[in-house]
Amino acid sequence: MSHSDSPHSSEKAMDIVNNVKSSSHRIRNSIASIFGIVLLAGCATNAPQDTWQPKGDNAQIINNLQWIIFPMAGVVGVLVFAFAAYTFWKFTDRGQPIPSQSHGKPIVEIILTIIPALILTVVGVFTFRGIFELANTEDTEMVINVTGQQWWWEYDYPVQTDQGITKPIISSGQLVIPVGTKVLLRETSRDVIHSYWIPALNGKKDAVPGRINLLRLQADKPGLFAGQCTEFCGLSHANMRMEAIALSKEDFAKWVAGQQKAYTSPAAGTPAKEGEAVFLNQCIRCHQVNGLKKADGTPAIAAPDENVYSGAAPNLSFLMSRNTFAGAKFDLLNKSCREDVWGASPETIGAKYLAGVSQSCLNETDLRAWLRNAPAMKPMYADPTKLEKSGGKYRGMPNLGLTETDIDKLVAYLLTLK
Amino acid sequence: MADIATHDTDHATDHGHHSSTGLSNNKLAMWLFLGSECLLFGGLISTYMLYRGRVQNGPHPSQIYDIPFTSVSSFVLLMSSLTMVLAVSSAHRKDDSKTNLWLLITGLLGATFVGGQVYEFTTFYREGLGFTTSLFSSSFYSLTGFHGVHVSVGVIMLMSLMGIIKKGKITGDKAEVVELIGLYWHFVDVVWIIIFTLVYLIPS
Amino acid sequence: MSTNELTLTPGNALDVAKGKLVVAPTQSLGVVRRPVNTTGWREWLFTVDHKKLGIMYGTVAFVFFIVGGVEALFIRLQLALPDGRILSADKYNQMFTMHATTMIFLFAMPMAAAFANYFLPLQIGARDVAFPRLNALSFWLFLTGGLILNASWFLGGAADGGWFMYAPNSGPVFSPTNGVDFWILGLQIAGIASLIGSINLIVTVLNMRAPGMTLMKMPVFTWMILVVQFLLVFSLPVITVALVLLMFQRSYGATFFDVSQGADPLLWQHLFWIFGHPEVYVLILPAFGIISEVLPTFSRKPLFGYPFVVFSGASIGLVGFGVWAHHMFASGLGPVSVAVFSMATMAIAIPTGVKIFNWLLTMWGGKIWYSAAMKFAIGLVILFTIGGLSGVTHAVAPSDTQQTDTYYIVAHFHYVLFGGMVFGLFSGFYYWWPKVFGKMLNEKLGSWNFWFMVIGMNLTFGPMHILGLQGQPRRMYVWTEARAGEGFFNLGFWNMVSSIGSFILAVGVLFFIINVIKTTRNPERAPLDPWDARTLEWITTSPPKVHNFDRIPVVHHLDEFFHRKYEEDEATHTMKQVATGEELVRAEEAAADADIHMPGPSYWPLLLSIGVGILGMGVIYGTPIMVVGALVVLFSSYGWVLEPSVPDAIDFDTPSTDGHTKEITPVG
Repeated sequence: MSHSDSPHSSEKAMDIVNNVKSSSHRIRNSIASIFGIVLLAGCATNAPQDTWQPKGDNAQIINNLQWIIFPMAGVVGVLVFAFAAYTFWKFTDRGQPIPSQSHGKPIVEIILTIIPALILTVVGVFTFRGIFELANTEDTEMVINVTGQQWWWEYDYPVQTDQGITKPIISSGQLVIPVGTKVLLRETSRDVIHSYWIPALNGKKDAVPGRINLLRLQADKPGLFAGQCTEFCGLSHANMRMEAIALSKEDFAKWVAGQQKAYTSPAAGTPAKEGEAVFLNQCIRCHQVNGLKKADGTPAIAAPDENVYSGAAPNLSFLMSRNTFAGAKFDLLNKSCREDVWGASPETIGAKYLAGVSQSCLNETDLRAWLRNAPAMKPMYADPTKLEKSGGKYRGMPNLGLTETDIDKLVAYLLTLK
Repeated sequence: MADIATHDTDHATDHGHHSSTGLSNNKLAMWLFLGSECLLFGGLISTYMLYRGRVQNGPHPSQIYDIPFTSVSSFVLLMSSLTMVLAVSSAHRKDDSKTNLWLLITGLLGATFVGGQVYEFTTFYREGLGFTTSLFSSSFYSLTGFHGVHVSVGVIMLMSLMGIIKKGKITGDKAEVVELIGLYWHFVDVVWIIIFTLVYLIPS
Repeated sequence: MSTNELTLTPGNALDVAKGKLVVAPTQSLGVVRRPVNTTGWREWLFTVDHKKLGIMYGTVAFVFFIVGGVEALFIRLQLALPDGRILSADKYNQMFTMHATTMIFLFAMPMAAAFANYFLPLQIGARDVAFPRLNALSFWLFLTGGLILNASWFLGGAADGGWFMYAPNSGPVFSPTNGVDFWILGLQIAGIASLIGSINLIVTVLNMRAPGMTLMKMPVFTWMILVVQFLLVFSLPVITVALVLLMFQRSYGATFFDVSQGADPLLWQHLFWIFGHPEVYVLILPAFGIISEVLPTFSRKPLFGYPFVVFSGASIGLVGFGVWAHHMFASGLGPVSVAVFSMATMAIAIPTGVKIFNWLLTMWGGKIWYSAAMKFAIGLVILFTIGGLSGVTHAVAPSDTQQTDTYYIVAHFHYVLFGGMVFGLFSGFYYWWPKVFGKMLNEKLGSWNFWFMVIGMNLTFGPMHILGLQGQPRRMYVWTEARAGEGFFNLGFWNMVSSIGSFILAVGVLFFIINVIKTTRNPERAPLDPWDARTLEWITTSPPKVHNFDRIPVVHHLDEFFHRKYEEDEATHTMKQVATGEELVRAEEAAADADIHMPGPSYWPLLLSIGVGILGMGVIYGTPIMVVGALVVLFSSYGWVLEPSVPDAIDFDTPSTDGHTKEITPVG
């Protein structure tokens, strides 16, 4: 048992602590410098999913709220830290006697409770309004059905003659909408919970199997807006991406017309025609191309429900009218063409987008690699020897064992899907 | 689980220590445990209420429940609460043989209830309501099954208590031990009243 | 030997000369003779002493802290660069699931239990908890659950559905390996441990306080622990239901989360978050309690506004049950529900703010001593404020639909959990180490520990605010350049900074480990009251004797210990020391109680836990194993109930003749 009693030990401890007595200064300085770094050094420019760059009404409503709550939180933080820093400096032990043992001042407490309550009440009122504003769907002008599936998004445009849609359109990856239009997404899922998020246009909304959740999108100007699935949905959640493309009303009408064109089979004797045969041999099992006919002239109907656990695979009609594939993980455009389209101004992006993907712009490397061995490019459950739990059905695209010549032909064929 | 036959758990009430709440440690612990059990059954009941109408396959509740039968077994369980009260009062009067008698009857009534449930479940199963048949069936069996297990554990405790009283192995306050099991038993009974009402009596 | 009838006579004593009486057990009534060892590894295996259990909880929890930390470092290594190759998608998903699960259930909760176990009885002037064997059971069940959970790494892969384990992704089709099954079992078993522990501690606090200690004279740490136990009692059963439903689906074919059968995936979310939100207050309130002791001690002033701090802690606990769906703002609840939960979430910021103000006002006007414990306590106040303010921005539901599932949320909860909870725990380590181990942790190393952790923590989690607000979602095994924006300070830069920060943080933790090793080797003993503390646990030796107090103290004041040492000088209104801690302890020894009874060790908690573990493994590996487990459980339960009652012989009786206490060592 040690024989040193309290005062001794206090002194000894104080000796050690005296070396870091300027801790108060150091605490204050480091706090200040951390804040400085974070605030002043700043952020990325042109981050495609930036949540503070609203490009449409709904995102703007949210942004208005952000500009209320964030500065308020910032001010409160600065005040608290300033008070703290002052306290640390002023009341450091400099040998003063043990202070009077004040137990508190109720009036101070009450004031410090009421002030935050008032601030939060004000914030609450604005929040309340914002919630209901964002939930209003009475004035919807266009509806698109969005279905999430491991690990890509499908878009179904039902017939809406006032928007020029006279036949249902099915596409995936890139959601094309007209500017200045109140678009309503009706979201669901075929398997697990996903979440649809295009930050520039609105907050996110989960796609829940068995339910329909609503999300409004509206873009002010033409542009390409990036998004990602934001509800953990398994192995390739990180690879489940999408973009929204807003086109001027005229450009949108052109896009709709393009998506409703009749199918034209490639000319006989071309590599594309041979590619069509490869497609009918392999890909048609899961992927639909509208209007494609088998060799005997009957319509070729894909049966993904027989092969894929979640029941669907992307419809590849007009594949080259969009510029990403594989759940928007990969670009169909090569690097320079992509920069051209993605970086285009609102005035020019419509025409550039509608031009689609030409042979000279095609990202052959990634497309060929995908066709060669899809599971190696994107983690999926497509090993045919390991499908017991899903009843023998694939969860993702398998390795089809295509030869290089098959791939050549397929690429030539896919390029005609525009 | 109540420590019923040891020295150290009577820490607060033994040696004349007084407890600030007026409840002994054991009793307070049992009340807290039963409080948490409320939330447990609450979760299971909520699940059942959500899923009671979701009958993709197999029979619908209205097609399968035998209300008269279940009413009788509910009555049996209710009576067992009465006999439990009698057991507790006998324990307070330090009448070991009466205590054991009422404990035995309570246990037998409880076992009858469980037997009735077993019979009911096997009948349902033969009529096409398996555990995995539908959401309704999974929720039903889970809720009533959990309750049945609680009753069974109660019966085992009652029988064990009888044996321990007979062997004279309970130290400390014997009446309190009987009371504790009584509390548990009444709780299980109350939960059954709620289940019987919500599951069987109120049509979905 | 089970019918030995040795009785206590001085003639049996072996070491009377050394002041040791040796006694033997009287006739055992039960199945086997009760263990009686008080030395060696068997002492630890069968102990029911709350202090030993506290140390065991703390040690195991710290090991899991390292495990969870290594998992975090792997995550940050993977995310330092775009399209990382360190971990496959599958491994990454397991890594972040296990990181969170380990940190929350195997580190944070047990470490709080370690502090609660050790200090709660001491702070209320009791000799042990209400149910010592149940206390031991809680520990062994926790260890069993933790081992089962981590066994999954070696038995086919860990759970990979995220710590929140949303259905249907966690179902048998979408999570086909056994990982989720291990997760379910590990958590169920650990959950039982926590539930038992919470009942134990509530009864202890409500029933076993020293005379004169009303509820409003209890230390704030005790109060916060009490609130936490109530949160656990009412929230754990709900996740139990969720886990049971998922287990029934995965192992027995039930359809609870099978959408094709009509199930509603949101059922899981509601059940999980009704537990999950109170859980976060379970995590933070103990740390709040610790610093509510540390800050007054090192400011040499009482806690400012004790009733407000206590009341706000209780109201945080209560309101905490009413905000769960703020984790579900994007899941399609509908605007009315969203609005209600949004408002409730804002409301809960108010009592939290009250605490921050009270802590700052405690220091105001004080005489601040920047020991390592104090640095960590101050760190909590500052860092938790940052985390709390970002939390208020989530309360604005529309804003949250941009923030949820991004790194902004990751930033928020790491500031409150690491900057808040972990810093509070470290403050507790430095504060109470001398009392528990009789040694002072080195203050210089403590300083290095603190600064590396503070800087590392801010570098790791600060940039995550930017990453999240600029669109980087969470739970992604890779991030891409294409979404990272342009400029020097793009998302790539901040990801790298965050990863570097995590290693600096790891070095900080390493300093603590070095400190512990160095202190253990250092023979120098700590003084009895090194910090001039204020509460009852300091009126003991360091470490406390097995029976804690020689004489149960009678309490007249809040901060009773301080009031026995100091009186206010009427003239100058400053405090005058009238006694030292040492003197007070000596006085207690001199007036020791004559009749002290301590509970004896027991096999059954350990055995019962092993049985539960086997039972659990049987759910995965087959019914025969379940049967074995059930038999062990049954046998252990009966053994427990019939446990040999060995009252007086094994009790510790302190003869008060010569003023020195005597150790009693029962023969085994």
